[in-house]
Amino acid sequence: MVQSKKQKYLFLAFCLVPTFILFSIFTLYPLFSGLYYSFFDMSGSSQAREFVGLDNYIRLFKDEIIPATIWHDYFLVITKVIGIMIMAMFIAVALTQLKIKEAPFYRIIFFFPNIMSVVVIGILWAFIYNPDLGLINSGLEFLGLEEWQRAWLGNEDWALTSLVLPSIWAGIGLFMLLLMGGIANISKSYYEAAHIDGANEWQQFWKVTLPLVWPQIKISILYIVITTLNGSFIIVQVMTGGGPNNATHVMGSYLYQQAFQQYNFGYGATIGVMILVISLITVLILQLLLKRDKVEY
Amino acid sequence: MKRLFKNPFVLFLMAVLLIVAAACSDDSTTEESPDEGSDGSGEESSEGDGLSGTLEIQYFVGGYGDSWWKEVIGDFQEQHPDLEIVEHAGPNINEEMRSRWVSGDPPDVVYIDGAGSSETQMVEDGQLMNLSDWVQDIELEDGTPLLDSFIVEPATYDGEIHSLPLVFDTWGTWYDISWFEEEGFEVPTDFESFMSSMGDIQESADIAPFVTTGQHPYYFLRGMLYPAFGAAGGNELLEDVITGAEGAWTSEPVLEVMKKVEKMQQEGYIDEGFAAINHTQSQMNFLLHDNAYIPVGFWLPNEMEGDKPEDLEYGFIPSPMNDAGEPMAVVPDLRPLAIAEQAENPEAAKAFVEFVFTKEYAKSFSEHTGAIMNLEGVDLASNENVPQYLIDANEMINDPEQAQIYHKPHPMSADLETPISDSLVSLMLGNITAEEFVEEAEEAAAEYRNNQ
Repeated sequence: MVQSKKQKYLFLAFCLVPTFILFSIFTLYPLFSGLYYSFFDMSGSSQAREFVGLDNYIRLFKDEIIPATIWHDYFLVITKVIGIMIMAMFIAVALTQLKIKEAPFYRIIFFFPNIMSVVVIGILWAFIYNPDLGLINSGLEFLGLEEWQRAWLGNEDWALTSLVLPSIWAGIGLFMLLLMGGIANISKSYYEAAHIDGANEWQQFWKVTLPLVWPQIKISILYIVITTLNGSFIIVQVMTGGGPNNATHVMGSYLYQQAFQQYNFGYGATIGVMILVISLITVLILQLLLKRDKVEY
Repeated sequence: MKRLFKNPFVLFLMAVLLIVAAACSDDSTTEESPDEGSDGSGEESSEGDGLSGTLEIQYFVGGYGDSWWKEVIGDFQEQHPDLEIVEHAGPNINEEMRSRWVSGDPPDVVYIDGAGSSETQMVEDGQLMNLSDWVQDIELEDGTPLLDSFIVEPATYDGEIHSLPLVFDTWGTWYDISWFEEEGFEVPTDFESFMSSMGDIQESADIAPFVTTGQHPYYFLRGMLYPAFGAAGGNELLEDVITGAEGAWTSEPVLEVMKKVEKMQQEGYIDEGFAAINHTQSQMNFLLHDNAYIPVGFWLPNEMEGDKPEDLEYGFIPSPMNDAGEPMAVVPDLRPLAIAEQAENPEAAKAFVEFVFTKEYAKSFSEHTGAIMNLEGVDLASNENVPQYLIDANEMINDPEQAQIYHKPHPMSADLETPISDSLVSLMLGNITAEEFVEEAEEAAAEYRNNQ
């Protein structure tokens, strides 16, 4: 049966319009509102506001904390990408290739942090890092390494590094599953052929597994980068609140502080615009860097 | 492009987008006139004997709990059975109600306390009703004018009153009386004896004697530094540092105070882990005798009620940052009650605020919360239901030989308090010197003044 043009448009409208309306309300409208508010001086706790043009943007460039927050975000991005990808890949290969009998059990264990709220993870790890009762300092004491003990989250030099571990721990499971799916799709015959050609397991990993799961790796890296730039503020907010002395502030937590704790909502919106621009530029650069032809054997 | 606009589907999508944008757009960027909303109460409010309509009350529930509020609101409800009272309460109520305030639909009465609330900001935003004229006629049950009955007078903004100080709180330093008596530790009366006491405790108990929360550095700022500034330079210095007056933070008395803090850090008296912990963790450490001194307000015993070891006996002293021979300094921290400018039932709101300020409820407030309501002439000493630490503290605060009361003009703006708190943590960690701290604080004050 041939559809008329009208029917075709009606069907398209039926599929797209509801989504488009929701997208407009929940994504486009806040996006443009944020941009609009960035030109105002407003507290965010009332409707009063004053148009200040580009003043908030000038302030953004003069703010000494902003470069530090950008660096902190990228520090988390880099360490998370490296940590999560290495760990997720290692576990995915182990659970798919090494024929471990308890693989389903480990899969659940490693995925478990992903079903926990980031807030819960933050609170849990804040206890683990507690200077007096925490597991880490107690463990160091048990091992006779008292000189390594410190107030991890209260130390200006160590606080940011301390946030990396829970961030990686919380992120491994999802990417492990993604990579396991990719590895499971690789035909066994490639490994058999490689084996017959004399390739050891390490060579099989580099020459067969890695090239064939590249699309999954690429998606994983992009996803980690975007979620870190947009969402790392939760773990920061819960575990350190950006302190001590701004040592762990990321762009998102600084936005929150300015908009909702210091009542500079307009300036907070300006920081939001900066996060959007930086995220877009980062993703574009990553798309270029990760461009690699799809491998097929 | 022409082809694109000829496509009916694209045109339809654009029309939908326009409609959505129009529906979501804000139609006004101006404030409503100050009179609007404040007097339009005729229909809903007082008729005959009682009030009617709806009265919405927002109150923060923190260390003081909510039992006193329940009692007062319950009594008010009994007096006005036709009035529907809606309570908005909880530890995060300021955040939860923010959208109501932003959208111009606030509750009628608000108790301003806790994180996410700022009286100064609310006044600046025109959210609180001007009570200057109305409050002149309010009297207590014995006929005394309310304005003559406050321990500390209401804050004024350009000479106008927008809130009435309900809770007289004050920060001070807490210790465990039983433990001190048992171990023979000295209770300090000035900075010198404070240092000597901390030295003894460090030596005999092998602990860092002083703890505070580094995640909320304002505990130290308000609990230790404000009294120190008061003792060093009186109300004038206190006002200058809070308003960020030029040269205040680099002045000699402020530097002297900060050198005292530096000394505490250098002697190892400040718990090294303080920067990592929040207020409840620091209070827990205090209860467990991991530390001996902690600066907190009157709410500490109520907040930690469930965790208090049986043999611990709360002792409170004004923070001993004063020099020897000088009285200790107390800086009251008031928590006000206010009426929203856009209250829908202002008559009921005014009636409720008037109802709350009685000596009977002031007495009941101390019984419920272990703190003091901001009314003079309330007998706490002979009240068996009032905790002993409050009776002792009240006596000490009211003895001019032991303690001198200093007043801050208004709370410090978050724009100034935040950068100063950041530098304060660095100083207390030993990462910067007192001289570097005052320079950083002066820079923060200059930036704050420029942004005004």
